Amino acid sequence: MWDALIITPFINTLLFIYNIVGQNFGIAIILFTLLIRLITHPLMVKQIKGAQAMQELQKNEKWIKIQEKYKGDREKLAQEQMALYKELGINPFASCLPTLIQLPIIFGLYQAIISALASTPLDLLRLIRHIYPGLLQVESLIPLNSRFLWMDLGQPERLFIPGLSFGIPVLVVVVVITTYVQGKLIATPSANPKDQTAAMSNMMNLYMPIFMGYLAYTLASGLALYFVASNLIGILQYAMLGKVNWGNVFPFLNKQPAAASSSGKKSYSK
Amino acid sequence: MKNTKILLIGLFVLGALLLASCGAPLSGSSWPGVSSNGDTVYVAYMQHVYAVRAADGSMIWRFPEKAGRQMFFAAPVLADDQLLVGDYENVLHSLDPNNGVEKWIFTQAQADWIASPLVVGDVILAPNADHFLYALSQNGTLLWKFETGRALWSQPVSDGEVVYQASMDHNVYAINLRTGQKIWSLDVGGAVIYSPTLDTEEGTLFLTTLARNLMAVNTQDGSIRWQRKFESGLWTQPALHDGRLYMGDLQGTVYAISAKDGAELWTQKVDQPVTGKATVLDNSVIFPTEDGSLIALTLEGERLWSRTFEGKLYTGPVAIGDRLAVGIAGGKEFLKMVSLDGQDLWTFVPPK
Repeated sequence: MWDALIITPFINTLLFIYNIVGQNFGIAIILFTLLIRLITHPLMVKQIKGAQAMQELQKNEKWIKIQEKYKGDREKLAQEQMALYKELGINPFASCLPTLIQLPIIFGLYQAIISALASTPLDLLRLIRHIYPGLLQVESLIPLNSRFLWMDLGQPERLFIPGLSFGIPVLVVVVVITTYVQGKLIATPSANPKDQTAAMSNMMNLYMPIFMGYLAYTLASGLALYFVASNLIGILQYAMLGKVNWGNVFPFLNKQPAAASSSGKKSYSK
Repeated sequence: MKNTKILLIGLFVLGALLLASCGAPLSGSSWPGVSSNGDTVYVAYMQHVYAVRAADGSMIWRFPEKAGRQMFFAAPVLADDQLLVGDYENVLHSLDPNNGVEKWIFTQAQADWIASPLVVGDVILAPNADHFLYALSQNGTLLWKFETGRALWSQPVSDGEVVYQASMDHNVYAINLRTGQKIWSLDVGGAVIYSPTLDTEEGTLFLTTLARNLMAVNTQDGSIRWQRKFESGLWTQPALHDGRLYMGDLQGTVYAISAKDGAELWTQKVDQPVTGKATVLDNSVIFPTEDGSLIALTLEGERLWSRTFEGKLYTGPVAIGDRLAVGIAGGKEFLKMVSLDGQDLWTFVPPK
């Protein structure tokens, strides 16, 4: 079921793109990531709006009062919170539901890239069985050209420089930086020092780049390329929605924060 | 807050493990590579190479004693006083066949050793997924290397003077054994997964391609003697016996084909994808299928017996006298010895 609905169509789309861009797997991964991000863009917008509504709720007087009043009674607190959600017309799952829907797509994308990179005979046999014969010709397609720039996309990436006895994991560095920058850019500063969501978000911004860097260091570089493409496209999407806080990465921009942040808020309140 | 931190770190570690496991070689990456010298069965599977007594299935030694990062799948090759086996960490090992002690290693390759090496006289010919065929001396010194366009997944064959290497780059290469110079190459129109079969008497090389072709190639000049297109995919090496080629396809049909002109002599439906080279005995031919079955037919295509193992078969059994050693992928057991009529003799259980 999972294979038929997600993996097989993803693999065929990826390989179709690979074929029409002159059998360049690196370009195919970038374009395929772009395509998936475009398809899931409406979900992302919903997720952002849901998160924004939840964040604004933190500043709501009623909300603050409820937190104070029922801090010792979790059950009552939950009931009151639900009542307030209803009153303000907020769906508390509005931000996480789109994320949950996107997750299988992201995992599918990951698995499709892994499958297409088939580096052993059995992987290849499985890949061949995923290919729609009416769409793609196995004989001309296999083996895939996994070379992209200096990388073999089926292997972890290292750049070997003459004179150095070890390879430099350039893509790992790029993955770490873009993940960090993306996390920082989309983080909304919180005025409340006790805001747990903001604290968690800060922690995520710290751990996520390390986590992604570790994956990029150990897994096939095709996946690292996907991480980079996904991060950059993500930043672009947020920027187009006016949701990027450049001041988080470039603090000197915070000197004129009013214009930047107000433009973002305006687009949400529409 | 402390709990949240621990939860987050835990989730990251779990996520890392999950994603890393998708990219790392798993048990499903390949099938056990089996070889034998009559008394001992050598099997490479997962994290070890095992030497097993052919008589009773007891273990003589395993390499390495403690499982590490290395993964072994290519069938070990016995050459005089050494056992050659490559791993998926780019290292080719020479082991003492008596006790599994490492004699030397070759570390100049850049990718997995998916195919077994071939030993011709005093030259070791080792194909690697880094596109190179390496020629080594008996002590592992590099003599020459030959580059092809893509990965090498199949064992080369040789008539003692020329080496024939099929590549994933759609070509077959004839290479001078002593110098490593190319004599000819032929574009066969599709990637070649399994080794070619060499008929030294007729000077013909038989091979299957991912383009669903069976081809007979003249070893003198690389010209095509004949070729035959199949409806279904081919995931096998043709087995040559008495002027006939025996093979099956992924739709579950097995064939006997004239080696002379490619004419079909008989076909038989076995209803399961035939994956791997058939094993030809004096009066029977045994086909491995992906559902874990061995199907024995007479040389004229009449069914003799069949039996199914738990797991999958991607290579034919290795005939050792009046017994068959079967390497099974993805099952509870990965090495079994059966009689010529498919009855269990022993199952290898590696000690913990």
